[in-house]
Amino acid sequence: MYVYRLMLFLVLGGYLLSPLMMSGWGSPGVAWYRPFVIWGVLIALTLWLEQKRKLDER
Amino acid sequence: MSASLVTMLGVGAGFLLLLLLCALAVERGLVPTRVTRHPLVTTLALGVYASAWAIYGSLELAATAGYGYLTYYLGVAGAFLLAPVLLVPIQRMVRTHQLASLADLFAFRYRSRWVGSLVTLISLLAVLPLLALQVQTMGNAIYLMTGAASPASLALAFCLLLALFDMLFVGRRRIDGRHDSLLAVLALSSLIKLAAMLGLGAFALFAVFDGPASVQAWLEGPGQAHQASVVQTDPAHWRSLLLLFFAGLMMPHIFHLVFTETRSRHTLLQASWALPLFLLLMALPVPLILWAGQALEAEAPLGVAYLAFGLSDSLALQALAFLAGLAATGATTLLIALALSRMLVNHVFLVAHPPEAQQDLYRWLQWLRRGLVLAVVLGGWLFYRVVGLNHDLTSLGLAAFVGMAQCLPGLLALLYWPGANRKGMVAGLVAGVLVWLAGLWLPLLTGLPALVLLPPGLEVLAGEPDWYVVTLVSLATNALVFIVVSLATPTSEGERAAAEACSVDAVIRPKRLPLEAANGEEFKARLARALGESVASREVDRALDDLGLSPLEGRPYALRRLRDRLQANLSGLMGPSVAQDIVDRYLPYRQGGPGATEDIHFVESRLEAYRSRLTGLARELDGLRRYHRRTLARLPVGLCAFGEDGELLMWNDALARLSGIEGASVIGSRRDGLPAPWGELLGRVLESEAPQLYKQPVTLAGTTRYLSLHQAELAGEEDEPGGRVILVEDHSEMKWLEDELVHAARLASIGQLAAGVAHEIGNPITGISSLAQNLRYDTDDPEVLQTAEQIQQLTDRVSRIVSSLVGFAHGGRHLPDRPLDRVLLAEVVDEAIHLIHLARSGDDIRFDNRCPAEAGVEGDAQRLLQVMVNLLSNARDASRAGDGVTIEARVEGDGVRLDVIDQGSGIDEGVRDRLFEPFTTTKPPGEGTGLGLPLVYTIIAEHHGRLDVASPPPGHAHGTRISVWLPRHQKEGETPR
Repeated sequence: MYVYRLMLFLVLGGYLLSPLMMSGWGSPGVAWYRPFVIWGVLIALTLWLEQKRKLDER
Repeated sequence: MSASLVTMLGVGAGFLLLLLLCALAVERGLVPTRVTRHPLVTTLALGVYASAWAIYGSLELAATAGYGYLTYYLGVAGAFLLAPVLLVPIQRMVRTHQLASLADLFAFRYRSRWVGSLVTLISLLAVLPLLALQVQTMGNAIYLMTGAASPASLALAFCLLLALFDMLFVGRRRIDGRHDSLLAVLALSSLIKLAAMLGLGAFALFAVFDGPASVQAWLEGPGQAHQASVVQTDPAHWRSLLLLFFAGLMMPHIFHLVFTETRSRHTLLQASWALPLFLLLMALPVPLILWAGQALEAEAPLGVAYLAFGLSDSLALQALAFLAGLAATGATTLLIALALSRMLVNHVFLVAHPPEAQQDLYRWLQWLRRGLVLAVVLGGWLFYRVVGLNHDLTSLGLAAFVGMAQCLPGLLALLYWPGANRKGMVAGLVAGVLVWLAGLWLPLLTGLPALVLLPPGLEVLAGEPDWYVVTLVSLATNALVFIVVSLATPTSEGERAAAEACSVDAVIRPKRLPLEAANGEEFKARLARALGESVASREVDRALDDLGLSPLEGRPYALRRLRDRLQANLSGLMGPSVAQDIVDRYLPYRQGGPGATEDIHFVESRLEAYRSRLTGLARELDGLRRYHRRTLARLPVGLCAFGEDGELLMWNDALARLSGIEGASVIGSRRDGLPAPWGELLGRVLESEAPQLYKQPVTLAGTTRYLSLHQAELAGEEDEPGGRVILVEDHSEMKWLEDELVHAARLASIGQLAAGVAHEIGNPITGISSLAQNLRYDTDDPEVLQTAEQIQQLTDRVSRIVSSLVGFAHGGRHLPDRPLDRVLLAEVVDEAIHLIHLARSGDDIRFDNRCPAEAGVEGDAQRLLQVMVNLLSNARDASRAGDGVTIEARVEGDGVRLDVIDQGSGIDEGVRDRLFEPFTTTKPPGEGTGLGLPLVYTIIAEHHGRLDVASPPPGHAHGTRISVWLPRHQKEGETPR
C-alpha cells in the first residue's frame, strides 16, 4: 500500500510538473532527447517500484 | 508515387493474410501457449493504443505544438502507472461480473439498461471521428504511394478489405470468451508498427543526420528557422491534453483489451512499466522524422502528417511508412469494430429485442455481430467521407477523446464514490455530452463555428482553442451536475448494493434469499424458456463445472452461487442488463419468506480470498476474525450455527468427525436438508424451548450413540445477523459407564438376594436332605430307598443352583488382590451351559463341551464363568433352532486356547472392527446392550489373555468362531478348584 501511495505521488507530481520538464523544443542549449531521458528514468522508477511491490506481496 | 495500386492493395491484403495466419496458428496450437500467454504479448497487444494518430497525427501535432505531441503517449502511460489503484480494481470487477465493456460496467454499477445504451451511443459518437482518422490516413497513404484514384475511393476499398477480415475474425472467435489469437494478432501488429517506426527514426537519425549530435547541431543552427512556427504548449493545455489521453483508456477498444482480454492482475501490473516503454519507443522517432523532413525540405502535399513519405524516393522507405500506418489502422479498426459491435449487441439490440427462446442463440449472436462489424467499419468510412476530408488529424482525434472523457466522472465515482447514483450520473453525462456535441462534434459535421456558452466567471477562456474550452466546460458541467443531482436525489437499494460491489476495498455482502428453483436441473428447465433448451443446458452445465457442483445440488447457498455464476456468464454473452433481466425473471427468489440477511459464509470466503490485499487496521481485524474462526473450528466439542432463516452457517471440525460429514458439503443447507439423522436431531433441539436436550439416542454408522445438545440464541443487535448456535456433545461413554454402574449395582443386589435366598433355602434343604438320609437308614423298602435317594439328588441340585447364582453375582466385580487359581475350563464351560439352561432359553441349541478335563488356566473362576456365559449366550442368540455350539480347548504355547464355534448368522463386516467397543450390537433393539463383549474383552485383558474373532471360521460358509487364549497354570500339584 505504501508503494501505491508513492506511485500516486509520482503520477500527480508528474501531471503538475511535466509541462516544465517537457519544454524547450528546439531551444539552443537544451538536448533534444531530454524529455525522453526523463521519461526513461520514470519508467525505470516504475519498474523498481513494481519489483518492490512483488517482494512486498511475497 | 512509385508503387502501383495493385501492389499497394496486395501489400494490404498480404498484411491482413499474415494476421489471419497468425490467428490460425495460435488457434490450432502451433504456437506454444507459454508464448501466446506471455505478459509481453499482452503488453505489445496493448500497443494498439498507438493508432494512426501515433504514426501520422503525432507528426502533425509535433510540427505545431512541439513536445505537446507527447501528451498522447504520456496520458495513457499515466493511467498505466496507476494500474494498482485504478486498473486492477476495475479488472477485478470486470472479471467477477463478466463485464466486457464500459457500457457493461456502467449498466452494472448504475443498475439500468438505459445507462448501458446511453454509454454505447456516446462511445459510438466518440469513436466515429477516431475511425474516420484511421480511414483518412490509409486513404491518403495509398494515394501518396500510388497517386491512383481519389483518397476517398481508396479508403473505401481499404475499409471493405478490413471489414471482410474483421468478419472472418468474429466468425472464428468464441462468442463470449477472451481469445489468445486476438492478442497475438494485435501484438504482431504492434511489433510491425514499432519496427517500422524505429526503422524510419533510424533512417532520419543516421541517414539524414549523422547521429544525435548532428541533430542537436542542426536544431541550434539551420533548424531554428523551422522551429519558429512551433508554439510551445501552454501548461494548462498540456495538462488538459494529458487528462484527455488519460481518458483514452475508456475508448471501447482500449477498455476491452485492458480489462477483458488481459489475462491477470500480474500482467496488468507488468504493463504499468512495459507499455510506457513501448510508447516511448514509438514516440522517439516522431521528432526525428519531422526534423529530417524539414532538413530535407521534403514535400508534403497532403500535410506534414505524411512527411515520412517524403524522406526518400526509396520504395522500401515509403513502404515502411505505409506499413507502420497499415499495422496501426488495421489493429485499431479491428478492435474498435469488435468491441463496439459487442456493445451494440448487448446494449441496443438485445435490450430492444430480448432473445426469447432463440433457436441456436450463439449462431444468431455471431451473425448479428458480423453485421454490426461491417456497419461500424463502413460507418467510419461514411464519417470520413462526410467530415474527415475537411479536417486535420488533430481535430478528429481530439473530438473523439473529448467525447469519451465525458465518461470519466462516472468511472471515478464508480470506484471511489458509493454515494453517486444513476440520476446524477445520467444528468451529468448528458449535460457534458451536449456541450461536447455542440462545441466539437456538430461543428465537425456541419463546418459551423463551435457553440460554447461560457459560464459566468470563465470569460477568460474566450480566446482559447475550441477543444480546450469544450474540454473544460463539458467536464466541469458534467462533474458538477453529477454531484449535485446525486446528492439531491435518493439512491435505490439495488444501486447501493452495486456501489458496494464496485467500491475499491469493498467486500461484496450479498443477501441470503431462497430460490424458487430447487436444483441444477430445474435451473435448466426454467432458463430454457428464455434461451432455448440446448443453450440453457450448456450454460447451466458450464456454470456447474466452474463451481464444481453436481446438477442435483440442492443447498440454497450453492444454488445462489450457481445463480450468480450464470448471471456472470450470461453477462459475458449478452451484457449485464439482459443477463440480469433473464436471471431475475426466470430464476427468481422465493417471495414471502423471512427477510434477507447477509450471506456470512460467502463474505468469509471472499475475505479469505482478499486476505493478501488487506493492510493496516483491516489486516489486524482480519487476523482477529481468523483467530476466533479457528477457535470455533477446532473446538473439541461439536458446534454448528444456523441463521435466522434456518440455513446452516457453520459446522466445525469436531462435528464433522462425529457425524462423518464434511462441513463444505453441508454448509449453506437448510436444516431439513441435512443427512439423517442430523436434520431431525437438530430440528428437535431447535424446535424445543429447552436450552438443552440430554443424551438423545442416535444411530451413527450402525451404532447407537447418546448425544447431548445445548443451544443458545444469537440475538442480533441492530444490523447484526442473528440465529442459533448449537453445541453437540457425545455422552455415549458416560452413558456406558452409567449403565455398567447400574449393572454392577443390580448384580450386587442379586448377589445379596441370592445369599439371603441361599441362607433361607439352605436350612430347609439341609433339613430335607438330612431327613432323606435318615429315611434311608430307617427302612429297607427298596421303593422308599429309591425315593429317599431321589430326594437327596434333587436337594443337591437345588444347593448347586443356589451356589451358582451366588457365585455369578459376586463374580461381576474384579478384586485386584484376589489370588489367581488353577481353573479347569471344562468345568467352567459345564457351569456356564448349566446357567444358560436355567434361563429357560437355548433348550433347542445343542452345546457340545469338548474341552479336555485337564485343560487348566490361571485365573479367577467366577470372572471366567462370566466370560463363558457371555460367549455362549451370544452363540445361542446367533444360532437357529437345532444348531450346535461346540466348545473346544487345546494347549497352545504357554497357554490354552478355547474356541466357541457356532453355525449361526455370523457378524457383519461393518461391525467386526468395533465388536469390542461398548454399545456395538447386532441384535435387534431391546435385546442386546452391546456391553457383553466389551466386558469379556476387559476380563480377558485382566487375565493377560487375548481374543480373536473369525466370522465365518476358515473352511466354513457361515458361523462364528471366538477364540480365547489364556495363560496356562504352571504350578504342579495344586488342587483344582
